[in-house]
Amino acid sequence: MSAGVAASRSAVARPARLEGLRHRPLALGVVGLGLVGVVFVAGIALGNVAIAPADTLAILARRLLGWPLEVTWPASAETIVLELRLPRVVMAMIVGVGLSLAGATFQGLLRNPLADPYVLGTASGAALGAAIALLLPVHVALLGFGLLHLFAFVGALAAVAVVYRLSRLGALNSLTSVLLTGYAVGSLLAAGLAMTMYLSGSNLRQIFFYLLGSFSLASWPQVVVGVPIIVLGSMVIVSRARSLNGLLLGEETAAHLGLDVRRERLLLLGAASLVTAAAVAMSGLIGFVGLVVPHLVRLVVGPNARLLLPLSAIYGAAFLALADLAARIPGELPVGVVTAVVGAPFFLYLLRRYRAGYEL
Amino acid sequence: MRTRSHSTPSHLIRAKGFLHLSAALLSVLLVVGCQVGSTTTPSPAATAPQTPTVTETPTSAPTPTLEPTATATATATPHYPLTLTDDEGTTITLPDEPDAVVSLTPATTELLFALGAGDKLVGRTDFDDYPPEVVEVPAVASFSGVLIEQVVDLEPDLVIAGGNNFTPAGDVDRLRDLGLPVLVVYAPDMAGVLADVLLVGQAVGAESEAESVVGELQARIDEVSAAVAVLERPRVFYEIGYEPEIYGPAPESFVADMVNLAGGEPITTTDPAVFSISLERLVDLNPEVIVLGDAAYGVCPTNVVIRPGWTQIAAVSDGNVRPVDDIIVTRPGPRIGEGLAALALAIHPEANVEPVADAVELCPELGSV
Repeated sequence: MSAGVAASRSAVARPARLEGLRHRPLALGVVGLGLVGVVFVAGIALGNVAIAPADTLAILARRLLGWPLEVTWPASAETIVLELRLPRVVMAMIVGVGLSLAGATFQGLLRNPLADPYVLGTASGAALGAAIALLLPVHVALLGFGLLHLFAFVGALAAVAVVYRLSRLGALNSLTSVLLTGYAVGSLLAAGLAMTMYLSGSNLRQIFFYLLGSFSLASWPQVVVGVPIIVLGSMVIVSRARSLNGLLLGEETAAHLGLDVRRERLLLLGAASLVTAAAVAMSGLIGFVGLVVPHLVRLVVGPNARLLLPLSAIYGAAFLALADLAARIPGELPVGVVTAVVGAPFFLYLLRRYRAGYEL
Repeated sequence: MRTRSHSTPSHLIRAKGFLHLSAALLSVLLVVGCQVGSTTTPSPAATAPQTPTVTETPTSAPTPTLEPTATATATATPHYPLTLTDDEGTTITLPDEPDAVVSLTPATTELLFALGAGDKLVGRTDFDDYPPEVVEVPAVASFSGVLIEQVVDLEPDLVIAGGNNFTPAGDVDRLRDLGLPVLVVYAPDMAGVLADVLLVGQAVGAESEAESVVGELQARIDEVSAAVAVLERPRVFYEIGYEPEIYGPAPESFVADMVNLAGGEPITTTDPAVFSISLERLVDLNPEVIVLGDAAYGVCPTNVVIRPGWTQIAAVSDGNVRPVDDIIVTRPGPRIGEGLAALALAIHPEANVEPVADAVELCPELGSV
């Protein structure tokens, strides 16, 4: 099927350089991984405190590779590199992977280019959960985890579960119904969020910054808990790439192709929701990544999920870690603002360039 | 074959709704932000259990010390390692007298200087503005939170943070996870401020200085109490902000306590978690005096008289609308005694209270009310 798709679109005019990459997805993947590597190094070397690159390298070599280097740097530099920047870069990358994959999945599953990871009420559910956690007069903090993370995670999953049940996703041709249910449930939760915020007193600021998204509090315990969830969900999604391709043809066609539509849809939806919930619980609501990264990749390689999904994961990781870097060097800007400010113009530019032919 | 989006553009609708919500929220935040230098926000819903401040430290504070400059008789050096319980009930241990302190509230920054420990300050917040030399110390926290990398880089051996989410609770937890001793202070009322002076004094090894600061504060409080005791207690509305809603003190808040001490009956919002008050309620409760805490942000008595609906309020029709320097009234630091005096004089211009030294000039066109 993917071959047919490629053939039908070869007529669309493309710049020669990207055209070359389009037929060499492997090269695109290698370039992406190289970018991930560069961003990873930059993310550890740079921040709002200047640490000599040599010290950064020496710290990493000594602590991660076990090289017997003499300690010539202050203890604080080691803490900053190993306890603050390293988990932060890892977290930003893995959340970038998760949001991009979830976005690509929802766009394909719902056959709607405006779908993003938050389309089924995940964002509102997580936000309401987080806000309620902040309002409770209990302060639990265990290794960087609080009630907030738990409530946001549960809230996100609960919202999707409600939307799923209400929209009878199992029935055929119910895509519009899913979207509308997601919107309705999301609005209801948003009203609950607004009320919670109104009553939140001095917690208002925390809720507000949660809504903007940030990696400033990323820590190793969070990485240890969050990463496996996102990796697991991502693996499920990538392994169902063929199903996603089939579903893109429409449920009936997919069923004729021998696909268990109900089961595949539930699997993809569940995995994407799990990934989104974990991402949102860790880092708040970071917009734009999940919407735009899959589109950017699709503009270059086309809609074949077997290319789209892995490449979205790679470029999502690089993009979000880079956005986080841009957010923290001048102080602590909300990373969601950076993703939009950097991503939106670039996206518009690409859209204009390819306006002749773009299909989901 | 591949369908173009045939569903409703739910995202666009939602995006709009979200923007709307954000806009409303931002305006609220701006107001809160304006007063971020002060801990005016009370909250029963604080995440941290509110252990009453006063019980933490010796309550020698309320006992009137008659000599304002009570010289420290006991110069007993505090014994380290020192174990302290902060205002949220967290116990911290300081192995040695700290010589690098990060202060994450303007009030504690002022306090460190008042205790003669200003040279220990290595990091502060964006909104610290007093004493003037504080600008030379790097700012490591802003409205959006603490720059944790920078705090770690300063290698402090004591971090003093603000309770009740003045310093975001998540940042406090993160700093503690990184092994830094964080002392959280939060004063819900005047007694709490005095207790915090002693607590911080103990932490930085300036106990006798703390006692003399408390002595001076107590003397100023006693002076104001004596002066207003012989006067009527008018109904007072302390205006924290006017736009987009009217913001005033919540019941049992710090500002309400200050108005009480300054010889007024505070008019408050309906609930400790609510900061805005309707004009209906304000007109109904009919304040006899309006104190403009937002004068520092450009609101003056001349602006108040032209507000629609305000002319029936007794304070407005009788010309009892007066500005006050919000910073000293609401910042729970060593200048709180001056703040109380300023507030008492705004409520009772005739009170026998020594005027505030180095008062900020507010609303120069006063008197036209």
